[in-house]
Amino acid sequence: MATQISQSTLKEKSQLLTPLNTQNLLDSVDAFLFDCDGVIWKGDSLIDGVSDTLDFLRSMGKKLVFVTNNSTKSRRQYAKKFHSVGISVSEDEIFSSSFAAAMYLKVNKFPKEKKVSLLEENVSLSSKLHTLNEEAMAAKPQVYVIGEEGILEELELAGFTPLGGPVGAVVVGLDQYINFYKLQYGTLCIRENPGCLFIATNRDAVGNLTDLQEWPGAGCMVGAICGTTQKDPIVVGKPSTFLMDFLLEKFNIPTSKMCMVGDRLDTDILFGQNSGCRTLLVFSGVTKESDLQDPSNQIHPEYMTTTLSDILHLANNKF
Amino acid sequence: MLTIKLSAAAVCSSSSTHFPNSHSRLRFNKRIPFLSNPSLFNPLRSIAECSSFSAKKNSAKTMDYSASSRIVAAAEQLKDPDQLIDSVETFIFDCDGVIWKGDKLIDGVPETLDMLRSKGKRLVFVTNNSTKSRKQYGKKFETLGLNVSEEEIFASSFAAAAYLKSIEFPKDKKVYVVGEEGILKELDLAGFQYIGGPEDGDKKIELKPGFLMEHDEDVGAVVVGFDRYFNYYKIQYATLCIRENPGCLFIATNRDAVTHLTDAQEWAGGGSMVGAVRGSTQREPHVVGKPSTFMMDYLAKEFNISKSQICMVGDRLDTDILFGQNGGCKTLLVLSGVTSLPMLQSPDNTIQPDFYTNKISDFLSLKAAAV
Repeated sequence: MATQISQSTLKEKSQLLTPLNTQNLLDSVDAFLFDCDGVIWKGDSLIDGVSDTLDFLRSMGKKLVFVTNNSTKSRRQYAKKFHSVGISVSEDEIFSSSFAAAMYLKVNKFPKEKKVSLLEENVSLSSKLHTLNEEAMAAKPQVYVIGEEGILEELELAGFTPLGGPVGAVVVGLDQYINFYKLQYGTLCIRENPGCLFIATNRDAVGNLTDLQEWPGAGCMVGAICGTTQKDPIVVGKPSTFLMDFLLEKFNIPTSKMCMVGDRLDTDILFGQNSGCRTLLVFSGVTKESDLQDPSNQIHPEYMTTTLSDILHLANNKF
Repeated sequence: MLTIKLSAAAVCSSSSTHFPNSHSRLRFNKRIPFLSNPSLFNPLRSIAECSSFSAKKNSAKTMDYSASSRIVAAAEQLKDPDQLIDSVETFIFDCDGVIWKGDKLIDGVPETLDMLRSKGKRLVFVTNNSTKSRKQYGKKFETLGLNVSEEEIFASSFAAAAYLKSIEFPKDKKVYVVGEEGILKELDLAGFQYIGGPEDGDKKIELKPGFLMEHDEDVGAVVVGFDRYFNYYKIQYATLCIRENPGCLFIATNRDAVTHLTDAQEWAGGGSMVGAVRGSTQREPHVVGKPSTFMMDYLAKEFNISKSQICMVGDRLDTDILFGQNGGCKTLLVLSGVTSLPMLQSPDNTIQPDFYTNKISDFLSLKAAAV
């Protein structure tokens, strides 16, 4: 499965991993940050050698953190996914963009929901209206989500429940159930509710959502809302360094002693560089060597290699 | 931008004109309303509540779609319509917000058009709305009691087909359509093979192991326009064609942010579908509708008219007026559609038409006042 990487890629910018520089990397880095899609797994299939490599890194005392832009799951759901592919990871080692969206609202003190009584089927229409009107006027802003379960769960966990109240923020992430209704609803909120926030979990164009091919990512849903509102969103996932603050708080390690491992230049590697981390690009996901070498590409990771398990093989000097 | 301020009472008495072809029963769920068959309403809002959560947190900035940022003379309010009318041979009218709103004719339109015709002016109708074909628009004009022929109508659906014709798009290649009937009909008339359209709105995908979505390798162009049946299947199909079929074109009928599908409110426009496909392909589309001058060049050639003899009348600055300016025509903004006077006069606005007025029937009423 390993493809030959041509020697011509040994340019001034990105270095191919070798036994020597792998050892240097392992000696100088205390924490490894991994993207998930295209690095750990592809769809639901674990990439070869990942499990052993992670075990090896843990045995060397390295901290492992998983930073994913895929907002379809919550941290808890990701922990379950890891478990299902035989890797032991705890929830608080996972930093998903779904979590990032909830944290952004928390950190910026978005008002928490006051519960509003909801309309029940058998109450009369006029009394329903009266209750709703009164309570809606008093209720704090709510969050409208164009996205999947992951975002909803993280918002609930952070105390933002989607009940009543005027919409004060629209969070947009990957949504395979996207439709015109959602586009319109999100558009109305952003265009017409004064001060309504437009938050994007991420803007990835495509991703390996299944093992066999790439699928449109959140960049698509966000692009749609940009198209109707003519506004730029606040991006909370990679390459924004927003999540880095949470990592720093948790691990208390300087970013220069962290290495970001990812398959995408404009999110993973840029995130790593913007935060001052070491960076390693793997070719097991969406980026091919030719993309890296393309003259229009401005992003050059420190290191590159075929796949994550190369770290293990090179450390044991198996090449 | 015209909005409806809905009170709770109005919300509950929502009629079916709020969303075409939907049921109008209101439902309040315990969850976020991912309803497939909703009636749409403005979320109840309290201005005080929303703005108390600091507006400065909203770092959203308005993207500038204007052609240039040079200092231009402010638009003049139209005072002497005769002078304008006498100075041009042809009037190009946008439709939504100028002639009609949804299915309702704007006041005074029939008389105004008759007056212009009686003065020997050529009338042309250029709309970015790709949901209908020229023929279907002809019918709409007829239903509203207006005397307009198919040949005078240029919809962006027609523009897409005309564009493919102009580049000699091979007849043995296919077109994948993210859009509605209008585009399909025009492609058909022009003799192009297409797949996709509204029926793909029912197609579902399941992201599971081993599932591979196939796509037709003969698709040589993807045309994206307004599509109320938009879904993930279509986005993926379009994305696969554009990314994987060598030389596949990415054509957009238009990029309007919002559109007046109904008279009551604005609706997410073609700009959203195009934005979505742009997001996943990271490619810029070739736009055939306003403000691109493709349709202007086409009709100038078709009718053998000089652009300086044209006045473009529209309600939208970044499509209609920019279209007119890019084409070298005179431009008249009407305030009967999406643009308000404050928007025109806002310091953020860099597009200044030559003139502005409330609605096209001012051609008649201002004349009457002057007499």
